[in-house]
Amino acid sequence: MSFQIPAFAPALPEIIVMTMACAILVIDLYIAEERRGLTYLLTQLTLVIAALATLGGMPVEPQVTFSGSFIRDTMGDLLKAFIYLMAAGVFLYSRDYLRARKLFTGEFHVTGLFGVLGMMVMVSAHSLLTVYLGLELLSLALYAMVAYDRDSLQATEAAMKYFVLGALASGLLLYGMSMLYGVTGTLDLALLAERLADSDRGDPVLVFGIAFIVAGLAFKLGAVPFHMYLPDVYHGAPTAVTVYIGTAPKIAAFALTMRVLAEGLAPLHADWQQMLVVLAVLSLALGNVVAIAQTNLKRMFAYSTISHVGFILLGILSGTADGYAGAMFYAITYALMALGGFGMILLLTREGFEADNLDDFRGLNERSPWFAFMMLLLIFSMAGVPPTVGFYAKLAVLQAVVQVDMVWLAIVAVLFSVVGAFYYLRIIKLMYFDEVEDRNPLTAAPDLRLALSVNGLAVLLLGLFPGGLMALCIGALT
Amino acid sequence: MLENYLPILIFLAIGLAVGGGAMAAGFLLGPHRPDAEKNSPYECGFEAFEDARMKFDVRYYLVAILFIIFDLEIAFLFPWAVVLGEIGMFGFLAMVLFLGILVVGFIYEWKKGALEWE
Amino acid sequence: MGFDKLVFYVFAAVLVFAALRVITCRNPVHAVFYLVLAFLNSAGLWLLLEAEFLAMTLVLVYVGAVMVLFLFVVMMLDINVAEMRAGMRRFAPVGVGIGILLVVEMALIVRSSAFSPEKFGNLVRSPADYSNTKALGSVLYTEHVYAFEIAAVILVLAIIAAIALTLRKRPKTRYQDPARQVSVRREDRVRLVDVPSEKRG
Repeated sequence: MSFQIPAFAPALPEIIVMTMACAILVIDLYIAEERRGLTYLLTQLTLVIAALATLGGMPVEPQVTFSGSFIRDTMGDLLKAFIYLMAAGVFLYSRDYLRARKLFTGEFHVTGLFGVLGMMVMVSAHSLLTVYLGLELLSLALYAMVAYDRDSLQATEAAMKYFVLGALASGLLLYGMSMLYGVTGTLDLALLAERLADSDRGDPVLVFGIAFIVAGLAFKLGAVPFHMYLPDVYHGAPTAVTVYIGTAPKIAAFALTMRVLAEGLAPLHADWQQMLVVLAVLSLALGNVVAIAQTNLKRMFAYSTISHVGFILLGILSGTADGYAGAMFYAITYALMALGGFGMILLLTREGFEADNLDDFRGLNERSPWFAFMMLLLIFSMAGVPPTVGFYAKLAVLQAVVQVDMVWLAIVAVLFSVVGAFYYLRIIKLMYFDEVEDRNPLTAAPDLRLALSVNGLAVLLLGLFPGGLMALCIGALT
Repeated sequence: MLENYLPILIFLAIGLAVGGGAMAAGFLLGPHRPDAEKNSPYECGFEAFEDARMKFDVRYYLVAILFIIFDLEIAFLFPWAVVLGEIGMFGFLAMVLFLGILVVGFIYEWKKGALEWE
Repeated sequence: MGFDKLVFYVFAAVLVFAALRVITCRNPVHAVFYLVLAFLNSAGLWLLLEAEFLAMTLVLVYVGAVMVLFLFVVMMLDINVAEMRAGMRRFAPVGVGIGILLVVEMALIVRSSAFSPEKFGNLVRSPADYSNTKALGSVLYTEHVYAFEIAAVILVLAIIAAIALTLRKRPKTRYQDPARQVSVRREDRVRLVDVPSEKRG
């Protein structure tokens, strides 16, 4: 037999997360309700060990194993490291929220870890098959987590919408993949790019294949016109789950798009570029404009996500290494901002009270000047105000677009960002210039306060010194 | 390969012919005198209480979905059993790991009491 | 026309008919049974393509298990058919439009040069001792071992999700514990009481 036993070492982080998730699932069954904190600690420990394994074993050259279905490279390792960081933040921020609502169970943590595993598989995918399996693993975890608060009608409805539309999107993606396979006869992304390079470009199978794949990806990213589910899911899900959906999966979705479009379909760049331009412009327009009308902060963040996805798409569609690096920088820093933004909602939330309306932030400055300042930093960063990191991320992406002579696209993006600044500034006005309605003291745990402060300051510090992270992103993609 | 399946096709054809034939014969040869009483649903002599379709307990659904999951597991076992001689120790261990992961799920299921019928 | 071509057209015709009935049936339970018929016929088509394992899996998993679940769900939903059909007229044009779009796409794809018979040369039927299951198995557990193990993880996640979302403990139910039943001893259950015998008179 010609089969060679594959190298397992590159997949060590995946193996660790899978083993630990299974172990936590079983351990959680045998511990008493009041010692559930152990599950939480083990979950965080898993993320730390996985981070050590990922960063400790970073290869210089990309390693492909499992007969070409797995790749370990610098881009993947860097993205995975940030996925662990986001997931750890999510588990920390959501702990007390879940406790107060009797949702603090082993299942939440294990499902979350399996979701992280799904993202890792997506990030390291080197074949359309593993792309799809990773995506399904993540999606299944997300559907379950959205429906997790099963007595809430709103959450159940959100989960149904997410599941039905998500299944449709997976179908579109699979359909597109099957067409590509039909033309090229391979699922391996590197081989796919090779064979596409010398295939007939005008072949309708390829055109439809790309269209279906881009539609599937756009759905998973939440780009207009495939965004319908996003506001309802963000709004309907428990905030602890919204913060999960809003952060790490965005990094994974970026990786997914990179693996499929920038690696597998690289020779057809001109074809998918057109589609991404349409998606990006629509996302920027709709996201920023509709966000203005929102009164619920989670819903507003959902529309803001849509507009940020537009920016990430701008970087990817440029098709240059700078553009990819810009988009990667954007995806990572956006996840950081979203983590902080949802973290603020969780900070103000207490037992029996959800602080997810804009009015709940009224006069925050009087209640807690420090956290009002943190929120100010995060909101400035989302709006792209210097010196926060959001400004730098937008700049990097726009530069890449200008470099490929699409100045009009950059102008459109800037215009809609200015529109978007309006609803971001409204939150700041509420916090600093409006009367306090709710005078309850903040009750959040010290570690949550500390993490949120670090999160807010990170947005500022990364904005002042973006060079390090930017150099990492550029290094990962060249 | 297909010639092996010819007997099955013949079985199918005969089965359809017998089943369809019997129904057709009953329809054609039997007396046919319907009236309102004969066409109404019959429930032990009194009027029907409700629709025949009623809500099932969600527990049936849980049992069914757990069954599907282990049914799929079995589906993976078939080709494995066929080629076990060729894929060697590696293939054997691959299946051991696969089953091991599912056993974790099974422990969870058992311990949670999802298999108990109250 | 060869015999297998005839078989193909029979299966294909019944499949299309059954699929149409799935979406036009008024009674959802009948729709599920038509779906079973559709699955059985597509299993026949797969057999003609010499994908015997997939054909068997389709019957085993989809007809045997998934359809059972569908029946449960359809019965559980207690669907009000009239209510369901209310939006029919409004959405029909969109549905028909999308349907036509898909048919046109399919036609363009099938007629494309990528799938022309010339490209594949002379396709011959495999001999009688060819086993598709063997071909599948020899790569599934070796080359695709990574995907295979991820499939296991997805299945476990499905177990967790299904249980976490549907299992409810009712507080006042009585369980039977076989372990305790078996380990019970005579002393636990039987108490011998000395009852003084009643004296007559």
